[in-house]
Amino acid sequence: MQIEKTKFENLEKWEGMLAKCIRCGYCYEHCPMFKYTRWESDAPRAKNILAHGLLTGEVELTPSVAEKSFNCFFCKRCEAACSSGVKITDIMLDLRRDLVKLGYYGPGTTSITDRSCARCLQCVRACPHDARDFIDGEGIVVDPVKCKSCGICVEICPIEAITIPLSFGTDKVELERRAVEFLHSRESAKVIMYACNWSYHPDIQNSRLPESEIEEKEYEILVNLCGGRIDQNLLLTPFLNQAWGVLVGVCPDDECNHNGQEAAKKRVKRMKETLENLDINPERIHLVQIPNGDKQLCQAEIDTFMEKINQMGPIR
Amino acid sequence: MNTVDIPRLREIVGEKNIKTDPLDLYAYGADASVYHASPWVIVRPDNTGQVQKVLAYANDAKIPVVTRGGGSGMCGQTVAIQGGILLDMKGMNRILEINMPDVYCRVEPGVVDDDLNAALKPYGVFYPPTPASSRIATIGGEIGNNASGVRSVKYGATRDAVMGLKVVLANGDLVTLGAHTRVEASGYQLHKLIVGSEGTLGVVVEAIIGFVPIPEFRCLGVANFDSLRDAGNAIGEIMASGTIPSMLELVDDVAIKAVNKTMGLGLKEVAASLLFEADGKVMEAVEYEVQKMKEICEKNNGADLWYSFDAKEREQIFMGRKKLFPALSQFDAGLASTSLADDMAVPYSKMADMAAKIHEAAEKNGIIMTAYGHCGSGCMHTKIMMDTSREEQWQGAKRAIAEIYEYVNSIHGTTSAEHGIGISKADAFKVEKMDSLKMMAAIKMALDPNNILNPGKLQQAPEDWVTATDLRYAVNS
Repeated sequence: MQIEKTKFENLEKWEGMLAKCIRCGYCYEHCPMFKYTRWESDAPRAKNILAHGLLTGEVELTPSVAEKSFNCFFCKRCEAACSSGVKITDIMLDLRRDLVKLGYYGPGTTSITDRSCARCLQCVRACPHDARDFIDGEGIVVDPVKCKSCGICVEICPIEAITIPLSFGTDKVELERRAVEFLHSRESAKVIMYACNWSYHPDIQNSRLPESEIEEKEYEILVNLCGGRIDQNLLLTPFLNQAWGVLVGVCPDDECNHNGQEAAKKRVKRMKETLENLDINPERIHLVQIPNGDKQLCQAEIDTFMEKINQMGPIR
Repeated sequence: MNTVDIPRLREIVGEKNIKTDPLDLYAYGADASVYHASPWVIVRPDNTGQVQKVLAYANDAKIPVVTRGGGSGMCGQTVAIQGGILLDMKGMNRILEINMPDVYCRVEPGVVDDDLNAALKPYGVFYPPTPASSRIATIGGEIGNNASGVRSVKYGATRDAVMGLKVVLANGDLVTLGAHTRVEASGYQLHKLIVGSEGTLGVVVEAIIGFVPIPEFRCLGVANFDSLRDAGNAIGEIMASGTIPSMLELVDDVAIKAVNKTMGLGLKEVAASLLFEADGKVMEAVEYEVQKMKEICEKNNGADLWYSFDAKEREQIFMGRKKLFPALSQFDAGLASTSLADDMAVPYSKMADMAAKIHEAAEKNGIIMTAYGHCGSGCMHTKIMMDTSREEQWQGAKRAIAEIYEYVNSIHGTTSAEHGIGISKADAFKVEKMDSLKMMAAIKMALDPNNILNPGKLQQAPEDWVTATDLRYAVNS
């Protein structure tokens, strides 16, 4: 069914590239949103299809269409995997520009600030993408094109006034819940690893192993999508729930899209001090920097850490 | 048009497993083919009981059901051209059992091929049919399509690996087909019938599939040829010699140029290259096989002969073939790489002629085509690179495809080697299978009398693939 076409001034230039997307689907295996919901319509290929549909007029612009276009964590793994060299995130950013002009702002995965905001402006200073600003009479405003959903503002806000409405399993409450659930699920559970990126997640990706294969599982990897999001509670929760140790995986210094590794380093250092004050071996928390896609290194780091933790035994 | 009782489906699979937003429906309207058609509702069952209930309902209400795995099919198999319920099987993604003593595993259909192989790796075994899309292709989709890949020349296609299946029939009944054994002598081998039936006979809810040991040694060689004829002769001779390649790949000059142009690999631009590989547990035996293949290439005027056991060097050699898919997509800024006439199988002795025919048909009709493939299995792949916005290009592609498949048929080849028929190859399929179409229709009628399972595909596909359904491309004039 053809409907009246909306003009998408910025998106238009991508029409040829959208035709070049061969829709092989190689992008969606990498997408953190697809991995969380397992709906193809949340994956990068669907975004290309959506953009094509908007340009041809086959898709009607509705609030839910707009919302979908504001869902992305900008890990760019889809682009790295794309067999046709399609600039998926650039296309989506141009679509966002058009949508903002048409009065749609998401929010999707972009961050929003609650009215309870105390206007301390820490988030404005901390945002690595210059997406937050303070405007007199309006308070904190977020540019939904610039925001890359890293969540650093969420972590830094002292009164928890900032949220990412669609978290796809990466908000603190959800991560803490999953950490606690794993640690209490089996005798063998010892370690939680927070990994900033799915790309080096060494386990199987989109399927489930037989229970017999995982009944002795000693660690759980929880993907939190930027080291900059890690806060003290997230690091402490496992220890309060019988964990023997916590491993934090972040990008190397020159690879992080949000400079989140620096924040993670500081927080891990602080947690080490806390553990030391409690007379607990600070080596029970450890940070590793793993390049995009290096599953082997990630597995090796996990193995080394597990060996060390097993030598230490449980916290007495 | 029959309407779908959404509340009823919601009751069966639960709120979290159903999508009705037009945007979701539109996104699920595509696969890797040239088609697009939105289903009426997407349902993602968690278990066999839900599949049974959905099918029983759809059968009563006479609503089409299209089963979908990874959505990576190239011929429109999972495009819901008559609308209806799209059954997304990715919710049933459990590896149920890895049984080493009996050398099989049991999996649900939504298990991803690469995930299965990752789970099997610690046991020193692998599931071999693996297509190029293994990172997203599901075992269910591979069964529907009888998928195969580069190593199928030695290890066989999906049909060879499937020992048994649990299938939900159109009326919702659950049947167990095949066995937990490697052999089964009697009866109609109904599990093998389901493999390759493209979702038209039932919905696979569990598969028992075999695996094989991971070889300790692999050795990959390469040979360049100044003529396609010589490369074709070498292929035939290798396969007739008793040598057992674990891979035997052909790439033509268009493919080599594409890889050089887009990836800058600096490969020698010859008429054709052959990649040959052997694998096994004994290094000397592997080297013997590769040496033999090398000699045959040499005898057929192959040049620049080289082989290696080293993993890094093998990766380097294989890079060109591996990068071919993206290279074709990026061949020219104004051209899109379309999945049309995307595969076929021909007798070994006709490989060179087939490749030449593809080039000839492309040139004659103003499009660009390449010829490459797993020639050890007789499989040839092509892609059509064209300006998809121009109507005349589609007409040219249509003529070229007709010529190509007429030739395939004349040399006793077959329409699809591994990608399936769906819609885009149905014209040629119907000509090739002319005398067995009634038999297929009778089987379909017996198992799915209301024709709800993936209607309009295979022998039922509409006559003209260009106008069969909406194309995914915006065609201007």
